Amino acid sequence: MSTKVLPGQRLGTTAEFRAGSGTYVRDGFVHAAVVGHRTLVRPGESADPAGAAPGAGAAAAAGADAAVPPTLAVVRDRHATAVPEIGSIIIGKVARVNPRLASLNIMVVGTTPCTETFQGVIRVQDVRATEKDKVQIYRSFRPGDVVRARVISLGDAKSYFLSTAENELGVVFAQSMAGYTMVPISWEEMVCPKTKVIEFRKCAKPPQQ
Amino acid sequence: MSRELLAPEGLRVDGRRPPELRRLLTRVGLFAVADGSAYVELGNTKCLAAVYGPKEPRTQSAQLHDRAVINVEYNVASFSSGERKSRTRRDKRLLEIASVIKRTFEPVVMTATFPRSEIDIYIQILQLDGGALHAAINASCLAMIDAGIPMSDYVVACSAGFASGTALLDLNYIEESAETPALTVAMLPKSGKLTMLNMESRLHLDHFKDVLDLATEGCKSLAESLDEAVRKACKTPRPI
Repeated sequence: MSTKVLPGQRLGTTAEFRAGSGTYVRDGFVHAAVVGHRTLVRPGESADPAGAAPGAGAAAAAGADAAVPPTLAVVRDRHATAVPEIGSIIIGKVARVNPRLASLNIMVVGTTPCTETFQGVIRVQDVRATEKDKVQIYRSFRPGDVVRARVISLGDAKSYFLSTAENELGVVFAQSMAGYTMVPISWEEMVCPKTKVIEFRKCAKPPQQ
Repeated sequence: MSRELLAPEGLRVDGRRPPELRRLLTRVGLFAVADGSAYVELGNTKCLAAVYGPKEPRTQSAQLHDRAVINVEYNVASFSSGERKSRTRRDKRLLEIASVIKRTFEPVVMTATFPRSEIDIYIQILQLDGGALHAAINASCLAMIDAGIPMSDYVVACSAGFASGTALLDLNYIEESAETPALTVAMLPKSGKLTMLNMESRLHLDHFKDVLDLATEGCKSLAESLDEAVRKACKTPRPI
């Protein structure tokens, strides 16, 4: 079972466990750094509480071979803020476009909404994986589009660098000039259901049910 | 002057014995807007602390590439003490206390976990009856824990003074303003390390150890109370 721990509390030795998130090592002991649940993560598992049931990791780790020590993490009940990391999938809204890049306000990281928005940019070479030199930002994104993208770098001082060079990434919601929600009809086109106008976007492939 | 601070019966002006703390009352998680918040009442000293962050720095120049920056804003309400004082934000005394609190937390908070971000601590003293600094540190500690900011330990602070040949714990306003030598320490209760030791008056070295020992004892006792407060705050479910 997972137990509640407080900052500074000794959780185990470094011989038994590896220190995960929310913990630190001092004098050969793993200590908690935040208030939360003591969670054991076996190599290859995720510390996300939404994943496996809290007790399951501990039970599985008890039967695991002692060669690879399990990682000890302290998981908080509620996540205060979501911060984009390299590799995380984000959802953002296009704020501005110019021939070199599209700037986004990052609103959701993974499944967690951000309390404040972060700045991100999709550079023209990061829009799609193929025919990169033929990409035109104006034919890929427009201000107001909602885009799913991956963080490829923490970027410069101002913004994260994002990429939509995967089938599942790209525009997930866009409105036509007439103000209606458009429907994707190909990788590059969306159609307005009212006016039947075709506009160009880098569409995201809908996730398989 | 100092004779009046300790009655012949061994009682202080407010009826406490020398090694006695004032009544501590804590509340954790008062504000929905702040990431973490706490209220600490130490006798008649009342203090609010709110923590925002870790978040994007407001100004790009304020960020550090390898760790988070801690900003502390310390404010004393103009109605907090006997005589009404209006203080400005630029008050040197308030800025100095804010910088002391900032330096107290910097070695404890695991700032390296959040590069290029900032953590803001806002402290408001609502009522002042001595011991504002250690009330502020204790309130900030609870607010930091409430905000889920990783810290290697609690930071617990307590003050002690020396009057009538006796070390006094947790000075109130009358004792503080009687030019009693006062010492404030901030301690990590698990390791026993001190992160802050503040004394602005003269005290004979022979007495220093007694006063320091008393202050650390006070910290340990406060640490238990804060620990209990956090445990209690964990049990009550809160809206997200």
